[in-house]
Amino acid sequence: MESVLQYIQFVLASQMLNGLAIGAAVIMMALGLTIIFGLLDVINMAHGEFYAVGGFILMVMLGLGFDFWVCIALVPVLMLPVGYLIERTLIQPIFHKGDRHILTLLLTFGISIILQDLLKIIFGPNPLRPDNPLPGGSEIFGIFLPNYRLFLIAAGAVIVGAVWGLVYKTSLGAMIRAAAFDKDMAGSLGVPVKRIYAGTFAFGIALAGLSGVLLAPIYTVFPTMGHDFILIAFTVVIVGGLGSITGAVLAGILLTQVQAISSLYISPVWSEPLIFAIMVLVLVLKPQGLFGKFGNG
Amino acid sequence: MADIDFMFTRVRDSEKRSLRSLRLIAATFTLCAIIFAFVAFALDDTFYLRLASEALILAGMAISVDLLLGICGLLSLGQALFFGLGAYMSTMMLIHTTENFWLVLISVLLATIPVSLLFGWIAIRSRGVYFALITFGYAQVISRVIYNTRSLGASDGIVGVPVISVPLPFYDLSLNNPIGFFLFMLALVLLIVLALWWILDTPFGRVFSAMRVNEDRLPFLGYNVRGYMLFMYVLAAVIASVFGALYPMLRGFVSPELMFFEMSGNALIMVILGGVGTVIGPVLGAIILVTLKSVIGSFTEHHLIVIGGIFIVLVLFFPKGMVGYLRLHLEKFLTRSKKAERS
Repeated sequence: MESVLQYIQFVLASQMLNGLAIGAAVIMMALGLTIIFGLLDVINMAHGEFYAVGGFILMVMLGLGFDFWVCIALVPVLMLPVGYLIERTLIQPIFHKGDRHILTLLLTFGISIILQDLLKIIFGPNPLRPDNPLPGGSEIFGIFLPNYRLFLIAAGAVIVGAVWGLVYKTSLGAMIRAAAFDKDMAGSLGVPVKRIYAGTFAFGIALAGLSGVLLAPIYTVFPTMGHDFILIAFTVVIVGGLGSITGAVLAGILLTQVQAISSLYISPVWSEPLIFAIMVLVLVLKPQGLFGKFGNG
Repeated sequence: MADIDFMFTRVRDSEKRSLRSLRLIAATFTLCAIIFAFVAFALDDTFYLRLASEALILAGMAISVDLLLGICGLLSLGQALFFGLGAYMSTMMLIHTTENFWLVLISVLLATIPVSLLFGWIAIRSRGVYFALITFGYAQVISRVIYNTRSLGASDGIVGVPVISVPLPFYDLSLNNPIGFFLFMLALVLLIVLALWWILDTPFGRVFSAMRVNEDRLPFLGYNVRGYMLFMYVLAAVIASVFGALYPMLRGFVSPELMFFEMSGNALIMVILGGVGTVIGPVLGAIILVTLKSVIGSFTEHHLIVIGGIFIVLVLFFPKGMVGYLRLHLEKFLTRSKKAERS
């Protein structure tokens, strides 16, 4: 009995807490993806690259002498105009064509190719690592966890709360939801649909950049850093339902917990196929994912 | 009734014209390829012949992406999975079991069918972006598994594939011979293009054009849309894996990179560059992309920016690709010469 309790306390619980920190990161990535899809029906293949861009802007600003905590606030703000411009100049022109799902996917794929190479030219392929702003660790319920991971969990919760509040509790959020539900109707009621579209895309990009900043001290910064996260972020978004905020959060927690716990028993190599199998199962049973788009209902 | 007959002839006429212009493009391409082969042979070149052979192998994979995207409207982001499966299987067979070319090719072909039936059955239940992301995931997960499997060479891949020869009816073609390999690839690609054009023009193949026009209506006419899509998925997978099987015979090695997203993405660029839904377009796209990469690559290693830029311009302004535009002009030309004949 004693050993079972110890096992739960020292092995299972710490693994789950670590999983929660990764979960917070994955959810931040997935949130941006799902918001962009929920409103614009665009699968952003360049999301992983924007995540990397966030990390690199952080490195540049740290080099200029800014404080890490200032960067957390500043980097997303710097990413906003980039996202806004990309939406207005590249996505808007093909937005009204028939097969826009595929066209916009191809377009963002092109953007990802360019960004990746651009980052390689400017910063080189080697990983950079910022100093950990919160060194050391603390003990909670007898479990030792690095401080920064604790901060990550808290930051994830705050960001999810803020996004949820923005979308569901403000008039701006109401406009976004209205535009997602029926853009013509919303437009005729005076919602500036085009600006809302561009703004939402920019917001999603800024979230990707923010996750890049928050994860830099743990995972290092390099041009293809998005590749490790993009598959699980897509998986989370699909399982939760493309375009669903609740779905992204719940699926994000669920899948990263499955990953964390399963890697205790099977080789970590197989935890990715396991998660993918869960996604396939969800798609077979409930093709639209567990939750619906945020415009509806 | 007469009206319907008249409309039918008109539609048939315009289709014939469009097919004729495609054939013209294919014939020109073949001619250029043969001239290239002769010049390269005369100059005793190996490098460019091998590069061109590789372009044709990649063209095979691009054709399979086009079959899904252009014919069924399904965007696959993981076609490299089947290319890689074919490459790994042929490597393992060549090293451990047999050096018989046709035996390897047929085994790869037969092994791909059940795998793609299973994967296709799952993926085809969803459409649009879901299909794209599932196929993306397939390739990503399986390449990750191979990347970490020691017995399959892990991240290093497998080297030392023996050089074999292809027993043809009148001739024993050694794959070590660059011009032989190139001409063999050219024949294979053309054979597949012609076979696909033929299939698409049979009553069976014409169901796919109906599917593109109005997918919801077909079930009411008694057609099983999913069955047709699954057929195309398997066919595309088989084509990709067969060309994948040829890759280690040319380059002598395989690596997990063959299954990575870069490969699938490259195939997609070739399709968009050449022209979606034309079958010959992806072949031209492959040649252009490989040429572009080696030309820009001789100046700078950062060729991706240029290729990405070209790709974005194509998606924004020329979604029909090169063959799509050539075809439009050729059709106009063909109609004009017809009218001139009549008057």
